[in-house]
Amino acid sequence: MKNRLKLLRVERGWTQEQLGQALGVSRQAVIALETERHDPSLDLAYRIAAVFERPVEEIFENPHAG
Amino acid sequence: MLTLGKSTTAAHRRYVIRTMAFMSGYVAVNVAAIFGAFDDIGNPVAAWGLALAVAAPVAGQIWATLALMRESDEFVRALTAKQFIVSAGVAMALFSAWGFGESYADAPHAPGWLIYPLFWAVYGLTSPFIKTSR
Repeated sequence: MKNRLKLLRVERGWTQEQLGQALGVSRQAVIALETERHDPSLDLAYRIAAVFERPVEEIFENPHAG
Repeated sequence: MLTLGKSTTAAHRRYVIRTMAFMSGYVAVNVAAIFGAFDDIGNPVAAWGLALAVAAPVAGQIWATLALMRESDEFVRALTAKQFIVSAGVAMALFSAWGFGESYADAPHAPGWLIYPLFWAVYGLTSPFIKTSR
């Protein structure tokens, strides 16, 4: 799923490890999200939105939006 | 699974320790068998005890894998499941084909215990190519 995760992380000067800790996931998972090899669950997507204080759809492109 | 390259989480470290513990038991029994330690085993009860002894670490390894999935995040859980399913499926398909080859094409006999090393061989070959949770 296309997303702005890497951009948002780099803007804040966070490492993948730090973002993983903030989200409660492994660095592997952060890498997979950034490289679009993993579509997050709704729960993880909301956790990401909460960490970056943005709505989910500002971070993840809605593939079903018209 | 033994993804040592990126095994930095506590769950992965526990998994590696558990795997090494179970595999050392499995290897010890097999090495003893290769060197003929059980060749003179005459008692069927003892022989079945040996068979169960070699199966126990395999069952333990399944538990270790399930524990890794329980203790990991959703990506690692999905990836582990996918790698395990592909490896088990390919190993079963190959062994099933070989079994029919034995029955109908005069293929040499392959003992059933080979399914486990076959599973790991297939895992080693396929898991590097399984990188997405989809």
